[in-house]
Amino acid sequence: MIVCAALVVPPTSDVYVPQELAHKPVGLDYGNGTAYAGLQMLEGAVPREAITTRAAVTHPGERLAALMRGEFAATVLQEPWITVAEKAGCRLVSITFFHGTWVAGPDLDPQLYAAFLRGVARAVRRINADKRRYVSYFKRGWAEGDPQVQALTADDFNLGRIVLREPTPIPEDEARWAWDWMASWGVLRGDFDVATQINRKVEREAHELAAATPGAHGL
Amino acid sequence: MAPMTMTIEPVSAFSSLDVLVAMDEGLFAAEGLDLRMASREARDIRSTTEGTLMSPVTNQGRLQERGEATMFQG
Repeated sequence: MIVCAALVVPPTSDVYVPQELAHKPVGLDYGNGTAYAGLQMLEGAVPREAITTRAAVTHPGERLAALMRGEFAATVLQEPWITVAEKAGCRLVSITFFHGTWVAGPDLDPQLYAAFLRGVARAVRRINADKRRYVSYFKRGWAEGDPQVQALTADDFNLGRIVLREPTPIPEDEARWAWDWMASWGVLRGDFDVATQINRKVEREAHELAAATPGAHGL
Repeated sequence: MAPMTMTIEPVSAFSSLDVLVAMDEGLFAAEGLDLRMASREARDIRSTTEGTLMSPVTNQGRLQERGEATMFQG
């Protein structure tokens, strides 16, 4: 699945474009994809030395609450809290998308992974055929105790922010760029080595098995 | 044939709507896969506010490290 991440400012903010977040604190849940998405959105707008971040919690609802309390000038949210934030009058000053990538150990059975890929691919086709039917999933899990999320209706969701594609092998270039970029921030050390990061044998076997299965392209 | 079994770390709709739907609608079962989702215990949960940008604290991957899950979403 493709994750949508939005850089959000509160209703009273004087920030309208990401450039105006230079030297202003942005709350990020360090170590998670949304935090890196936030850094990339900021880096596209201001010099790196002007990026100022604060540690924020993982729960997006709690990050939104902290934003509304004025603990930072902006934060990065994912659905359904992007929708909640918009309904509360917050503005999105940037938006981006990134892959949710699965990580496994080296002993993963290709047959097992192929079955997983086939199940996911069928689900992607079903959801893409009628996204609105599935938005209630965004009210589960973390969101179950959040009255603002529970108050959302299916029509509140912007379906353009719910993006799914069938699983594909990890493009080496993209993996390398991500590694090099994270290393430039000091999060990773050393050079990218595709052989230690991606088990191409398991990946290839699993994708070939998944594609070769009868009915692999049906709903 | 006995179904294959795999346990994954917990996921949310924003990053894994496809997995949740596939579980609920029996799409993994149809492929002979009994997919299970592990639960995190209190000891597995640390706040990201304990970390820094360059030395982050994340809960992802802990269950896999202990052999209690085969995959997690990074």
